[in-house]
Amino acid sequence: MPVTFHIPGALREFTAGHDTVKIEHSPATLAESLSVLWTLYPGVRDRITTEQGQVREHVNIFIGDENVRYTGGLASPVTAGSEISIVPAVSGGWEKILLFRNKR
Amino acid sequence: MIGQVLGHCRIVAKIGEGGMGVVYRAYDEVLHRDVALKVVKKDVRLDASSSQHLLREARASSSLAHLNICTIHEVGESEGELYIVMELVEGKSLAAMCAGGGLAPESVLRYGVQIASALARAHDRGIVHRDLKTANIVITVEGLVKVLDFGLAKKVGSGIFEGPTQSFATIENTSSVSGTLPYMAPEILRGEAADHRSDLWALGVVLYEAASGRLPFEGRTGFEISSAILREIPNPLGPPVPPGLWAVIQRCLAKEPIQRHQRAGEVQAALEAVQSASIVSPGPAPDSNAPKTTILHSVQHAQVKKGDFLLLVGTTKGAFILRSNAQRSRWEVGGPYFHGHNVYAMAFDGRGDQHRIWASTQSYWGTLLRSSDDFGKSWTNPQQAPIRFPADTGVSLKNIWQIALGRPDEPSILYCGVEPAALFESGDQGETWSLVRGLFDHPHRPRWMPGNGGLALHTILVDPRDNQRIYVAISAGGVYRTDDGGCTWTAQNRGIRAMTMPDKYPEFGQCIHKIAMHPDRPERLFLQSHWGLYRSDNFAENWTDIANGVPSDFGFAMLMHPRNPDCAYIVPVESDEFRCACDGRLRVYRTRNAGSSWESLMRGLPQKRAYETVLRDALTADSFDPVGIYLGTRSGQLFGSRDEGRTWQQILQGLPSVVCIRTAVVEDASGGSRPTLPKTAVAPSHRTKSASKSTTSRRKR
Repeated sequence: MPVTFHIPGALREFTAGHDTVKIEHSPATLAESLSVLWTLYPGVRDRITTEQGQVREHVNIFIGDENVRYTGGLASPVTAGSEISIVPAVSGGWEKILLFRNKR
Repeated sequence: MIGQVLGHCRIVAKIGEGGMGVVYRAYDEVLHRDVALKVVKKDVRLDASSSQHLLREARASSSLAHLNICTIHEVGESEGELYIVMELVEGKSLAAMCAGGGLAPESVLRYGVQIASALARAHDRGIVHRDLKTANIVITVEGLVKVLDFGLAKKVGSGIFEGPTQSFATIENTSSVSGTLPYMAPEILRGEAADHRSDLWALGVVLYEAASGRLPFEGRTGFEISSAILREIPNPLGPPVPPGLWAVIQRCLAKEPIQRHQRAGEVQAALEAVQSASIVSPGPAPDSNAPKTTILHSVQHAQVKKGDFLLLVGTTKGAFILRSNAQRSRWEVGGPYFHGHNVYAMAFDGRGDQHRIWASTQSYWGTLLRSSDDFGKSWTNPQQAPIRFPADTGVSLKNIWQIALGRPDEPSILYCGVEPAALFESGDQGETWSLVRGLFDHPHRPRWMPGNGGLALHTILVDPRDNQRIYVAISAGGVYRTDDGGCTWTAQNRGIRAMTMPDKYPEFGQCIHKIAMHPDRPERLFLQSHWGLYRSDNFAENWTDIANGVPSDFGFAMLMHPRNPDCAYIVPVESDEFRCACDGRLRVYRTRNAGSSWESLMRGLPQKRAYETVLRDALTADSFDPVGIYLGTRSGQLFGSRDEGRTWQQILQGLPSVVCIRTAVVEDASGGSRPTLPKTAVAPSHRTKSASKSTTSRRKR
């Protein structure tokens, strides 16, 4: 079972437009999952983490329904089939713009 | 004890035995779960108060809900047996895992991050482990770290050791503490008070052991081990241990607590940084086909042509490019670019063979420096943020406050002033950037304090005559100057008051809001500080108060007339409590005698209930003669004057808060042809007879 990333609208320009990215490896932690993600799509890395490797203050990552800030951060365990969502702390605008543009 | 019931737990089997007691697998018959039950050895002689303390500590530890901390469910006494009921952790101790040699660096980092995270949680709650060691760390089959015995060691430890001398004897004579001494911090051996930083030392020992399979301080006797801990430097760890990990370990193993990381969270961040760097390095190079440029289709663009005049406007919700001609009466608006992003800095670079617009953007997704060579139709969107602090600084970029060009004869040089306060330099037209270490490593830096907007280096002035001299202004740090191209910097704040500090004239620490230098007389600078207006005529060696006849010497912006070195402009605000135009009247003040007196300029500016604020980069000039002056307000109004400030016209309203304005004159917009320096005016003087009606055309919301 792969691990699936849900990519927010603002970052899809760096994932060739994909809103989900499946990783076939079996990462044990969020850090490992992310490293695979940005090996595939390097542009997302600096958007999600600071140059010191910390998840940005206003970016939330959820494994399933759990915000990883409360489950061990980058060390949070990931299991087969995990759904990882990357969400800005206050979400909405970008998605709307993207929808709007797609309709045109 | 098998089969015996303590509290409501029935003992099932013996798991192991440690210094403190025997550990059993047990079954909680009330909550129906498997647990670990530790029965404290009777020969660990605890008097009544020690016993109470252990109970208290254990109760405190039981509140540490953290994924990487073995949870304590219950502490109790039954028939003279003191016992602790804990989460049953099944796995292998880190000690056992690294006994055969060092683990892979990836694993060390993965476990280290989790251990540091556990310590951070405990330390935040005032709980120190005091006996962190690889034997107390279990790795579950899922790869999850569990730190055991949090908070239990403290009193038990002091119950056993009454002082360092006795602990030496104990280590050799009693199995109950063997393996502990090698993790003890120097301050503990010296008999000094231990605190959470002693845990960080132990973490350093744990990481060293995990990475190499051996202890950093070894010896045949307790005395030899202690001696090594107190005096020796551990053997360095080379490849495959990444240098970053070794650097973290070394810092944990600094002999003095003050030299270590001060918080477990810092160790965690440092390890994550190494982890983040090392997990990407073996991967393929970034995909060169991936987008590096964003082309904006759904935004209105200004159609820029030769001879046009541009206003670059940065706001808290994006950037705008306003196009006009030398008349500067009708404006076409391009943008908003970077929807919703803070654009604190913009610049136009017409040096060499280019007409490039620069902008800094800040959002949830970080801070980027971006540029456009086609007046906003497309912008670079680099995969990797070009301005970034090196890993060893432990600092992350928050915002870019200023983009400054190098000297006209150095067209490849650019500077950026950033938050947290630092200067970056590029020698290749902004392709790559490096931190100016001479300023970053300045001994004053730890004592700079953030102003209301953050700790920012917001102004960079390059002396056009001396290619080694640069000034920077920091809020709140003061003015600094280098005379050797950035290698060394000196504070230049003599004569500037610091209203918020006990010493009113400190060497540094003043909250400087803006400095301006005259290009033809670079020894002359004007300065607006948190409270105070100043001039220097000797390269900022000394400053003279010039707040003569202004309604307030508080303000943000300070603008130098591009030709007249005696002329400067400010926009006073009432006070730091009420940062609005004095008396609700938006007035620009101008001096034409280097600050001996100031005159108000307000014709065309709102004079009723205009509680406006003009921020430090929202006042600028063009290069025409007479000079055009432009200002933007926090309420999103943009005003311009074509007669050096005598009369003003509204150019736009309803913008987001204006943070910065820059001007540019375009000589050839087609690209590839002869460039134009923005300083060079292309049109002769066009004196305006009266305030003409401003026109806003094709503005798209």
